[in-house]
Amino acid sequence: MALCFSVKHLFPISKCYVKNIILNNVCKYTSKNVPTTNHALDNMTDWETLSKKKKISKAMKAYLERAKEHDEFMKKQEFEYKIGKRHLANMMGEDPETFTQKDVDRAIEYLFPSGIYDPAARPLMKPPEEVFPARKAAEFDEAGRPHHFLFYTGKPNFFKLLHDGAEHIQQAYNFEDKVIRKKAVPDPNGELNIDNSIWLTKEQLEQVLVESITDLEYDNFKLLMERLISLPYAYRHKEFIEKYRKPLVTQRFALEIPKPSYDDEGRAFVTTYECLRKKARGDVTIRVPGTGKITINGKDLTYFEDVQPREQVMFPLFFTNMQDRVDVECNIEGGGPSGQSGAIRWGIAWGLRSFVDKDMLEKMQVAGLLTRDHRRRERKKPGQPGARKKPTWKRR
Amino acid sequence: MISRSWRNLCRRYSQTVTFRTTESSPSQHNEKQIGLFYSVNHDLCKQLFAYGGLPKSFAKQTKTFTETAIMVRQPALDLIDCIKASDFNKPVIRYVMYGEKGSGKSLTLAHLLHYAYEEGYLIVHVPWVSEFLRRVPRHKEMSNSQTREGFVDLPLDVAAWLLHFKTQNQVLLKNTELKISRDYVWSKRESTVAGSPLSQLVEHGINRVKYACDVLDALVYEIKQLSNSKQCKTFVAIDGFNGFFCPLTRLHTPTKKKVKPEEVTLTGSFLELAKNDWSNGVVVVTADQLALPDDHQDSYLPRYLLYKKGFELLDPFVPIEVGRYTDKEFLSCASYYRDRLWLRGPPEIETELKFTSACNPYKFMEQCAPL
Repeated sequence: MALCFSVKHLFPISKCYVKNIILNNVCKYTSKNVPTTNHALDNMTDWETLSKKKKISKAMKAYLERAKEHDEFMKKQEFEYKIGKRHLANMMGEDPETFTQKDVDRAIEYLFPSGIYDPAARPLMKPPEEVFPARKAAEFDEAGRPHHFLFYTGKPNFFKLLHDGAEHIQQAYNFEDKVIRKKAVPDPNGELNIDNSIWLTKEQLEQVLVESITDLEYDNFKLLMERLISLPYAYRHKEFIEKYRKPLVTQRFALEIPKPSYDDEGRAFVTTYECLRKKARGDVTIRVPGTGKITINGKDLTYFEDVQPREQVMFPLFFTNMQDRVDVECNIEGGGPSGQSGAIRWGIAWGLRSFVDKDMLEKMQVAGLLTRDHRRRERKKPGQPGARKKPTWKRR
Repeated sequence: MISRSWRNLCRRYSQTVTFRTTESSPSQHNEKQIGLFYSVNHDLCKQLFAYGGLPKSFAKQTKTFTETAIMVRQPALDLIDCIKASDFNKPVIRYVMYGEKGSGKSLTLAHLLHYAYEEGYLIVHVPWVSEFLRRVPRHKEMSNSQTREGFVDLPLDVAAWLLHFKTQNQVLLKNTELKISRDYVWSKRESTVAGSPLSQLVEHGINRVKYACDVLDALVYEIKQLSNSKQCKTFVAIDGFNGFFCPLTRLHTPTKKKVKPEEVTLTGSFLELAKNDWSNGVVVVTADQLALPDDHQDSYLPRYLLYKKGFELLDPFVPIEVGRYTDKEFLSCASYYRDRLWLRGPPEIETELKFTSACNPYKFMEQCAPL
């Protein structure tokens, strides 16, 4: 039971009989141990004391019922998760006390290997707080009066955000007026740096607010925030603004550039393995200094008959202006000319990182030379002549 | 319009021309002129190459460029040096030119033909062997040979070739010194007696198409005799020579039987010329991938292309490789194309073109076309 708690939505049905055995054992185990785990749940909503109060509105009553249900559910899930973790630890032969979430993920991946393409659809076992979305606490008191002054808008948190934003704008205006009146100069150090961060996306904002919002509402939010940061004294509201911004991930590739090794002639070389595109696989070696000699599977550039693949191969070299300063050796197999040349192109660009400066690296990144092309051939569909192509429409 | 052509003219002649040589006689060409273009006189061009000899794409280009400019390249110079240095009393030396597709074998041969013409050789030039054996137009004239059992004649093709031979050697054939040594009896009424000029034999072949193939046989014999007796020196140039050795031709008899190349009479005649049992001559042949069917084009080396049969027939020979452009040749060619407005745009594209064409002359020309 414990193991199956969050895994059960995701496991193939064929494994059910295995689960049932575990399930029975765990059920017995569960009934014995319930009283002892109660103290851990003190921080949940204290619905019992609330329900003892006499004057209670209908809304409150309904809420209390729902809350009780939810709390019970979460308690059960939490318990099952812990048991499941212990079982998993035992199965993996490790110490259940020091078994962390990381180990759980590893164990699940080991015990239930899955080739499903989308990682979200693979089996998982996570703490229930992560699996089930957070719910709002009671929004009204026992008399049925809402705590929040915007309760009747239906989305109090969202409109509170807009309200706050508007207030901040107003404050900024007032401050600006004051500064002008005093004829003071604005603080040169107060700069709002927004280059390395972006606004929360709609989904992220929904999570923060615990409310679902529409596209229009999200647009309004952005409009308001943009107006706020466009004001000259927006830096005074930095704290408020940064709550709703997310830092951009810094480019990772810059850190991992390999240092070239040296061969017996004293030339620096870098070998890139696993250059892939479509069905082609291969490796590319770049040697510096060179004379622009290109060797593909022992042949020169005439390995490719057509102009297009040749252009593909030479593009990174010409882009970085290294065409007569390096030698390139490639071994490539599988796929056709276009796939092979694409793989070589990526391999050359990836290897050239070690020999170009930072500016050029950024340019290469922008030009898309360092991006892998993960596209594959799309399968043919039954009932139609190709992947997407439909049969010719004919009236009769 | 006038101003534009004026501008072009100004541009063309304002700068010193680095890709052209004024030396238009191939015998005077030397190492200094490698990579430079020389233009062939238009009339001469018509005389030498009127019935083929220049590759089709190049012939088209000469029309576009309004001149026939041939680049002086190393293989041609080597060959000319060899010919100059060789002893003509010894049996003929065979030269085999080989190289990748589009690397300029035929044009080198054209250069050599020009040289042979200047030096006063009797030219026996087959523009493209596959024209006889592999190209089958809708009405290909074929007949069974009357003199040789089981052989096939291509009378129209041979007559056309005789015409080509006549135009190429029109100066030499006027010389009545070239006399035939034997009596040839074609039929009851027609015969060519010994001592009549060679041109009469050729004329007979052209006028009486029926006997063209027999005339060709006789002509080959006579040429050998004349060369041996030092009456003339002969230059034999056969382009796509390995076409004679492919397993089957595309021809078939009225009974739908596939014809092998050795069953065609003209094959025997030309192979006779390629043997080294005569002297006072030069034989230059090319081995070309394009002369063979698609399934036998893996390598461009002569042993592979000539098959065992051809290799043994030619052995010993002097192999001469015609390679891709060197850097110098490429630059000169690019500036020639720029001069002819065949190539335009920023100067950087030349390095790119060098890359994409891999310095292959034909590919380079083709890729410049849309630029």
